[in-house]
Amino acid sequence: MTATAEPMGTTPLGNRPLEPARLDALVQALRTVLADDQILTNKTDRYNRARVPAPFPVHRWSERLPDLAVLPTSTEQVAQIVRIANEMRIPVVPRDGGTGLTDGAVPMRGGIVVDVKRMNQIHEIDLVNRTVTVGTGISMLKLNERLAQHGLFYPDDPASYPCSLVGGRIGTSGWSLIGSRYGHTRDLVLSFDHVLPTGDILHVGDGIGGKISKSSSGFQMKHLFMGHQGTLGIATKATLKLFPKPEAELSPFWAFDNYDDAYACTGALARAGVATFAGAVLFDEYKVAYLRRDDEAYIPQPGDVRALVCSVMYGYEDEVRAGGKRLFRIAKEHGARYLGDEISEGDWAARHDRYATPLHGRTKDGQVIPMSWHCEDAAVNYANVPAVSKAWHEIIARLRRKSDVFDDWGMFAYTSANTGVDYLTEIDVGIWEQRLDDAAWAAWVDAKREIAAVAIAHNASMSACHGSCREGEVDLLPEELGRGFDVMLDVKRALDPNNIMNPGKYLLDGAYDNACEGTSRG
Amino acid sequence: MAEHLPQTPSAPAASAPYRRSEQLTPPPAVPVSEVAQTTFEHVYEVDPRLMQQHVLQQVFPNWDTLRIMRSRADHLQWMHQHFASTVISGSEILAEVEAEAAPAGQPLR
Repeated sequence: MTATAEPMGTTPLGNRPLEPARLDALVQALRTVLADDQILTNKTDRYNRARVPAPFPVHRWSERLPDLAVLPTSTEQVAQIVRIANEMRIPVVPRDGGTGLTDGAVPMRGGIVVDVKRMNQIHEIDLVNRTVTVGTGISMLKLNERLAQHGLFYPDDPASYPCSLVGGRIGTSGWSLIGSRYGHTRDLVLSFDHVLPTGDILHVGDGIGGKISKSSSGFQMKHLFMGHQGTLGIATKATLKLFPKPEAELSPFWAFDNYDDAYACTGALARAGVATFAGAVLFDEYKVAYLRRDDEAYIPQPGDVRALVCSVMYGYEDEVRAGGKRLFRIAKEHGARYLGDEISEGDWAARHDRYATPLHGRTKDGQVIPMSWHCEDAAVNYANVPAVSKAWHEIIARLRRKSDVFDDWGMFAYTSANTGVDYLTEIDVGIWEQRLDDAAWAAWVDAKREIAAVAIAHNASMSACHGSCREGEVDLLPEELGRGFDVMLDVKRALDPNNIMNPGKYLLDGAYDNACEGTSRG
Repeated sequence: MAEHLPQTPSAPAASAPYRRSEQLTPPPAVPVSEVAQTTFEHVYEVDPRLMQQHVLQQVFPNWDTLRIMRSRADHLQWMHQHFASTVISGSEILAEVEAEAAPAGQPLR
């Protein structure tokens, strides 16, 4: 890729607020595009958009404040906002729900937060081709309420299902709980309108895009413009693939008296080739011990319940029943004990909405403490799940020995595909955010780096779901991607010559001549 | 339709007299594990001895405890209907599998 003759990366890389005169000039420029109620400058509106669910030291929140937020209602408005920002060299941070766990929506350098939530229209439901075209500010829950009127369903199902938005799913290339049946966000989004960092509008999809699900024409650009965590622009309007709303659901939970049998059973369920199989989840001993403290479903379980497996099926009732019998027989062969209908149905229904779960942890002497939830994930091949799990628990145990700020809440391994090849493997860590001082934060960042290194050492990807641009794991991105990371830098520089689009993420400041010390790759 | 309502409701109706002392007296707590206890059926609480330093237990009137529990059940039921028209119970499938396996097979524990 050839460097442009113009100076590149001229956006200031600090995180100090804009000078008042510059802020006034920005607001005046934005008023040529937006109404006053679409430009938010007060402290509450800015603080509400300063963070995401991932824990961060409270005393440093003010480092992540945007200078203002805007609420556009159309692709053209987004394009004009970005053009203004590009001309004024002011950072732009897309915020599509802000439910991500890797800081994608966090303003690292201040600037303008583009909150897409008013772009939540359903533009078209195409019953003949089975597609829907929506603004990216709509949530999957609201979309599915409308689609149900037509017996249709958009099966993108993250643990933040009620509150995450279609645009955020595109920006993170999200992972779905029922992706083993229906595919993940990248499989479900057919095409989308996308505003580039220069303000140009691009339609992204296979070939011509639109409602085409497979094309061999030209480069396959859809994946490039998904999962970039907002660093390559803003998706504004998307066309999605639809399915019949499932007639039936079956979600058995089984108990095991040891992890090894549960692990073997999970693999066998995933490899069975049952067409309605939408996913299997393995709960390890640490997860069961954690649930036994606080979860009404697991507190009463006998002591020999040490690991759990859940499987879920969706489809027509007759095929779910037939597939269900096959999976029950497999579970039986592996020594499973069925946990009963109430737990099976209730726990599965709760998995669509984990962000609403109130959380607390324990000090080492057992006292309850308020904690925030964090989850480190990786995409791990089935054969390596036990080794990765063991190594990750050891890392968190070392942290816990140092401080009550951290609590090991156990691990899940979720099938990513319908063949059982790889698993979203996650360790949940409780963090006492109010006590997260600089030393504890540094220890946590070191632990995150270690967790990522374990994944890479086992030929895993550092993230199946969240992304890997948070402090700690991001340091290993060049190692994971190899030459691919240099291509990332080239693409970033070519599409965002002034580094205005979500700067400070994924080490991409290193693409520019004035990169911050410590983020440059030389 | 009021004539069809039962004379003695099984739980206090919304129009029942509110007596503060009654509301602040939950059923006696029964320990269910080393760290938890139960009061109403299906209502579990952390053992109060573990909530004395950093997070103190709050006093909930009975109606609010039951409201939270029932709201939770409503929410889960809503989620089921949102994702599929019917929920097939695992116990039905298990019974079919066991019936097919009998007499040679061994039932699931």
